[in-house]
Amino acid sequence: MSDSHPSDNAPLIAVIEDEEHLAQGLIFNLQAEGYRTHHEADGDAALEYLLRPDEAIAAVVLDCMLPGTDGFEIVRTLRKAQRFTPVLMLTARSRPEEVLEGIDAGADDYLPKPFDLSILLIRIKSLLRRTAWHRSQTSGFAETESPRRPSEPAGPASEYAFNHRTIRFDELELVAPNRTTQLTVMEADLLRYLTDREGQIVSRKEILEQVWRVHEDTDTRAIDNFIVRLRRYIEDDPAHPQHLLTVRGVGYRFLANP
Amino acid sequence: MNITRRRGTIAFFITLGVLLVGLAVTLNIGWVVLNERTVALAVFGIILFALLIAGVVLNTVFLVREVRRNERQDSFLNAVTHELKTPIASIRLYLETLQRRPVDEAQRQQFYANMLADSDRLLATVEQVLKAGQLGQRQRQQSRTLIDLEPLIIDCIAITLQRHHLSPDSIVFEPVAGAVHLRVMGIAEDLRIAVLNLLDNAVKYSPEGVHVHCSLSITQYTWATLSITDTGLGLPPNQHKRIFRRFYRVPGRSMVRIKGTGLGLFLVRNIARQHGGNAVATSPGPNQGTTITLTLPLASPASATEPSSASIKKGQQEGVEERA
Repeated sequence: MSDSHPSDNAPLIAVIEDEEHLAQGLIFNLQAEGYRTHHEADGDAALEYLLRPDEAIAAVVLDCMLPGTDGFEIVRTLRKAQRFTPVLMLTARSRPEEVLEGIDAGADDYLPKPFDLSILLIRIKSLLRRTAWHRSQTSGFAETESPRRPSEPAGPASEYAFNHRTIRFDELELVAPNRTTQLTVMEADLLRYLTDREGQIVSRKEILEQVWRVHEDTDTRAIDNFIVRLRRYIEDDPAHPQHLLTVRGVGYRFLANP
Repeated sequence: MNITRRRGTIAFFITLGVLLVGLAVTLNIGWVVLNERTVALAVFGIILFALLIAGVVLNTVFLVREVRRNERQDSFLNAVTHELKTPIASIRLYLETLQRRPVDEAQRQQFYANMLADSDRLLATVEQVLKAGQLGQRQRQQSRTLIDLEPLIIDCIAITLQRHHLSPDSIVFEPVAGAVHLRVMGIAEDLRIAVLNLLDNAVKYSPEGVHVHCSLSITQYTWATLSITDTGLGLPPNQHKRIFRRFYRVPGRSMVRIKGTGLGLFLVRNIARQHGGNAVATSPGPNQGTTITLTLPLASPASATEPSSASIKKGQQEGVEERA
């Protein structure tokens, strides 16, 4: 709806928010930070815009409750269409189930409303950094001072290989024998957390708090769907997992060599 | 996800109820057949079984109602959470922006205006929720005054136009024929809330453009009738009554787009009833607009022709009663 150009090669951030005042405030701040912005207030129009093949969108700030297609559906559709633009969801509902629904749909990060401006800007910056790593890696530059060859075992958590599969954390890719899956930042973060603790039991609560920064006192099972999806990526037979195991009543355990 | 689970719960309770009743009836008949001779016992047994059956039926009805009520309360909480948090998020965002960045004067004024509008919205939601809480309790004794409906409605229309940034011709007001003042005994603040809610709904549920027609008339000599007709989303026939329930929101995709707490019409109807009147909804069908009719008993003709201070003080009784 409204475009502006602080600088033509600045990262473009799509603001999908139907509350006019919030959108205005967000756009003002993003532009002040030097980003270009594009605003959509309607879910259907937003989806249409985000799916346009020629738009080089660096990140999306997405509200959950939108007229037309809602935020969750937008992310789901984007991911289904193989679009892995980083998505930061804003939600007025902050119950863990709802946060996880967003992450499960394929969002990379979330912030509950009302949010802290500085935190929002930091989160956006970090999402952009992840994609920047990806670009610099594919164009031959490593993010650290010492360039690595791709096959060389890297420092902590740049790549992780098991069961003929390789997780490339910086590229947000999971390379399997027959296909390469694009991961969202959240999926990559969870996989990294699990692989770093290979063989250990990781509780649901721990995952919620450490990986997704959701604080919840009661035991929630909302995370289970997410695990089911990860199994589809990393298991030969997702119905009978060998690597990502459920530990009854506690949480999960990742095994590289079962 | 949640809704299908709840449907399942309701279906379960209904099935359980029906099965238990069936079982009880079968047992009852069997028992009577087997024990034909002992008449006294049979009669006693039949009464006992009838009680049991009634108990089971009541229990089922109660459970189903409770599940429905929970469902509405949940969606209400969600809606209120959204309605409260969004303006707070916006105000906070602007405050933080003003705090950390140089903002030019025009922009600053715009931010202030936005924050003011957001605080109004916040206040409106808070007031609606508080009002609904009050109405849930027993009626308060509050002094009623003689209220001239026409200026009140014109005032409400002006507020609505301003609130939604509408052109004056999008809400047309047709006053009562002749130079008559329609006056009712009531609480001005409450009537204002009712009329504002009705107008707000008419605007909100007309996403394709606002064409609202308000007309004030006298029906059956003793009633003042305010009809507010929009050309918006309309209602399916089975929703005409339900929309007045507390927390109720019409299901469906087009309705989900529009935000609300499900309290507005509940307030309207309760206010109308406290004034001895009523509110009803009619609609030719989905996408064909809605008419909400608010009827209120007119104050006595004596006070309607000359609004003296005496008649205002008389105040506690309803207009119709005075007339009789």
